[in-house]
Amino acid sequence: MLKPILYKEWIKTRWYFLLAILVSIGFTGYSLLRVNRVIGLKGMEHLWQVMLERDVIFIDLQMYIPLIIGILLAIVQFVPEIQQSRLKLTLHLPYPHYRIIAVMLLYGILVLLVCFVFNFIFMSVYFIGILAGELVKHILMTALTWYIAGFTGYLLTAWICLEPTWKRRILNIVIAVCVLRVFFLSAVPEAYNSFLPVLIGYTSLTVLLSMLSVYRFKTGQQD
Amino acid sequence: MYMESVIECKNLTHYYGKRLIYENLSFSVPQGRILGLLGKNGTGKTTTINILSGYLRPRSGECLVFGENVQTMNPARRRDIGLLIEGHVQYTFMNISQIEKFYSQFYPKWNKDAYYELMEKLKVAPGQRISRMSCGQRSQVALGLILAQNPELLVLDDFSLGLDPGYRRLFIEYLHEYAKAENKTVFLTSHIIQDMERLIDDCIILDYGKILIQQPVSTLLDNLRRFTFTVPEGYSWQIADDKFYHPSLIRNHIETYAFLKQEDVEQELREMQVPYTELKCENVNLEDAFIGLTGKY
Repeated sequence: MLKPILYKEWIKTRWYFLLAILVSIGFTGYSLLRVNRVIGLKGMEHLWQVMLERDVIFIDLQMYIPLIIGILLAIVQFVPEIQQSRLKLTLHLPYPHYRIIAVMLLYGILVLLVCFVFNFIFMSVYFIGILAGELVKHILMTALTWYIAGFTGYLLTAWICLEPTWKRRILNIVIAVCVLRVFFLSAVPEAYNSFLPVLIGYTSLTVLLSMLSVYRFKTGQQD
Repeated sequence: MYMESVIECKNLTHYYGKRLIYENLSFSVPQGRILGLLGKNGTGKTTTINILSGYLRPRSGECLVFGENVQTMNPARRRDIGLLIEGHVQYTFMNISQIEKFYSQFYPKWNKDAYYELMEKLKVAPGQRISRMSCGQRSQVALGLILAQNPELLVLDDFSLGLDPGYRRLFIEYLHEYAKAENKTVFLTSHIIQDMERLIDDCIILDYGKILIQQPVSTLLDNLRRFTFTVPEGYSWQIADDKFYHPSLIRNHIETYAFLKQEDVEQELREMQVPYTELKCENVNLEDAFIGLTGKY
C-alpha cells in the first residue's frame, strides 16, 4: 500500500518539488558565483586567507533556504489534507492510520533529502576543486545544521497543519518557533558540530508530534 | 456472512463541551436496508456520522460496524465501508483518471467500469482536475469512486449539499439502483427530505438529545396523519397530550399531527372538550411527517 500513498503525495507536491530544487540550486549556484567572483577579482590566495583568518564561508545566503523549503513542503503537502477535513478520506483508507501518516512524512523527508543532497553534492564538487579538504568540510558541516533545520521545520509544520484546533495550533507554532530558533543561535561556522547528534535526535522525535495531531483528530477534537 | 445488523450503535452519549448532543442513543441498521437519519440542524446528524466513521469518540457508548467497534476496527475492514464526506470532498488536486488509479490499488473488488460509466455521463476529459469541476460533477466523481469500491456499507453525510435538482436526482437514482441491485446497506443524512423519500427504506428522526422515531418510511407515512380543525376565535389550545405532535394555532385554525385515525381524534377532542369544527384528516409526505414530529421551530 506504500505505492498509492506515495503516488498521491507525488501528485500533490511534484510542482513544488521542482520549484524547491530550482530555488535551492539557484541559491547555491549564486553563492558559488560569489566565490567565483572573489577568486576572479582578488585571486585564490585571498579566498583561502579570508576563510582561514576571518572564518568566512561564503554560503551564508543559504542559511534559511532549507528551513523555508521544509516549511513550504509541509504546507503544500498537509494543508490540502486538513482543508474540508480531507484527512477523513486519507484515514478512511484500508491501511493503519499512523502508518499512512508515517508514509506521508517519509515521502516528505525523501523529497527534502533529494533536494538537499543535490545541493550538497553541487557544493562539494565545486569546493573540492578549489579548496583544501579541511575547508570544504568546514563549509559543509556549517551548512549541515541548516539542512537539519530544514527537516525539523518540515516535521514541525506537518504537526501544526495536522492539528485539528486553532488554539492548539497557535501553541504549536510558538513551540515550533522556539525549537527552530535553537538551530540559528550561533552564526559562527561549525558552532554546532558537537551538538549535531542531539539536533538529529530531536528532529527524529518530532516525527511523533504529527501522530499526536492525528490522534487528536481521530478523537474528534475540533474548533 | 455478516451479522444481521451491519451497524449497531449502543447507548451513545455525546457532549460538545457542556452541551449535550444526545444521551443513550441506540439504533441499528439491518443488512440490505437504506436508512436515512433526519434531524434539524444541531441535533447530531454529523456527530453520528463522525462517530460511525471513527472520527469522533463518544463520551460513552459504542458503535459496532460489521460487529467490530469502529474505534478499534481492523483497517482492512474499511474496504467494506464507502464514505461520502459532507460536500462530496475528494482529492481535488488529482484529475479523474489519477484519482481512479490511486483508489483502485486499495480495493480488491475495484470496479473500474462502474466509475468510468458515470464519468462518461459528465462529459469531462480524463485529464480534468477535480478542483475545476462544478459541485455537481464532483458529487458524481465521489459517487463513482464509492460504486467502484463496491463496499457492503455506504455512509453518506449530507449527500445533497450543494447539488442542483438534476444532479440530486441523478445521484439518488444511481445510488438507489445500485444499493437495491447489489443488496447494499446505506446509512445517510440529507437536509433535503424530498430526496430521502425517494431513496430510503427506514428513517430515524432525531430531536434534540434523543431519537423521536425509528421505523420504515412506509409505516410512518401510513400511520401519521395531519389534522386541521377550526376553533372559536380566542380559544387557546393548552392541552398537553403526547398523542398530538406540535399543535400550532394560527388565527382560529389548529394544525397538529398524530398516529391516530380520524374517529380516534374526534373522540380524543371530545374527551378534551375542544370546541372543534371542520376537522380534516390528510395523509402526509416525509417532509410533512418530519415537520409534524419535530415542529417548525
